[in-house]
Amino acid sequence: MTQNRSALNHLLRTARLALHRSMLVQLGVLAGFWMAGEGVVRLVNLPVPGGIVGMVVVLALLASGWLRPASVRRGASWLLAEMLLFFVPAVMAVLDHKELIGLDGLKIAAVILLGTVTVMGGTALAVDLCWRWTQRLSREARHVDA
Amino acid sequence: MWMHNPLVATLFWSTVTIGSYLAARAIGRRWRFWWTSPLLLTPIGVGAVALSLHAGYGEYIAGTRWLLLMMGPATVAFAIPIYEQRALIRRYWPVLLVGVAVGSTLAMGTALALAHLLGLSDSIGLSLMPRSTSTPFAMAVSSDIGGVPDLTAVFVILTGICGAALGEVVLKVMPLRSSLARGALFGMGAHGAGVARAHQIGGEEGSIAGLVMVLAGLFNVMIAPLVAALV
Repeated sequence: MTQNRSALNHLLRTARLALHRSMLVQLGVLAGFWMAGEGVVRLVNLPVPGGIVGMVVVLALLASGWLRPASVRRGASWLLAEMLLFFVPAVMAVLDHKELIGLDGLKIAAVILLGTVTVMGGTALAVDLCWRWTQRLSREARHVDA
Repeated sequence: MWMHNPLVATLFWSTVTIGSYLAARAIGRRWRFWWTSPLLLTPIGVGAVALSLHAGYGEYIAGTRWLLLMMGPATVAFAIPIYEQRALIRRYWPVLLVGVAVGSTLAMGTALALAHLLGLSDSIGLSLMPRSTSTPFAMAVSSDIGGVPDLTAVFVILTGICGAALGEVVLKVMPLRSSLARGALFGMGAHGAGVARAHQIGGEEGSIAGLVMVLAGLFNVMIAPLVAALV
């Protein structure tokens, strides 16, 4: 009985070590959370991609201490570093939209270029102004305290 | 003929895609210009092979759908950098939320106004609106508001290429004091490609960009019904 338990403990410890070391296992864990998220989305008809549901679940598990960052960090870093590769198949849709090559394509490029600069400038300005404002508020609060 | 075997087709198109990507990545690391981004060079390489074999998107995507699906686990992976910057986020989330609201409104507004101004068709204009969010969100929003999700996917990538390249130019021009604003600029303006670029600037910037990207996606999905009613 005790022998059985120690064997089980040993097996669990080996599995945990393998989980920490192997990037493939970590990728599997992350993929598992994604698939669970897809399942939930389909079940409850959520208007959110399954990956986001999986991300929220992982965040909750990390925050509650059920999952340690080290258990998935290597797999996550790899996925994030190679993310551009996963975009490529989506871009190839352009093969079926040859009408985009030509004048319409140039116009679209102009919209994207001008639009993106506006979005970046506007967002950064809004965030920076808000940030300076909160900094000033917290400085004034400290001043009143003193 | 040999292409009709799904296993062979998967092996072939996956090899072409991954091979082009590795080559593009090596070129991008050696010569750093906006046009050496793997996001631009990889599709050009794959496109050249597809065109020379007279293959359509249907054939191509049947062999590479698994790569596209990897975007799911990659989205889950964002939990790690976001968790690691939780102190920053807990402190500044209202500021980030303001940025997301301003950025999303600007993204949709400029798409609609500029498309109209340049005389592009309504379906292209609508497909352009959610282009600043990451692909899964953007495609969902696009079908909600009457755009063409396929086209939106292409526009999202173009925005990513454009934004990752332009971000640094905008950074140089604007006197931004906080890593918050630098991260938000990339996360809101260029989704995943911007997040990757922001990570090269700094860990804080990268995590903020990742969080802003996710918030922007959620924000866009939530306001899509409202936008659909307005346009």
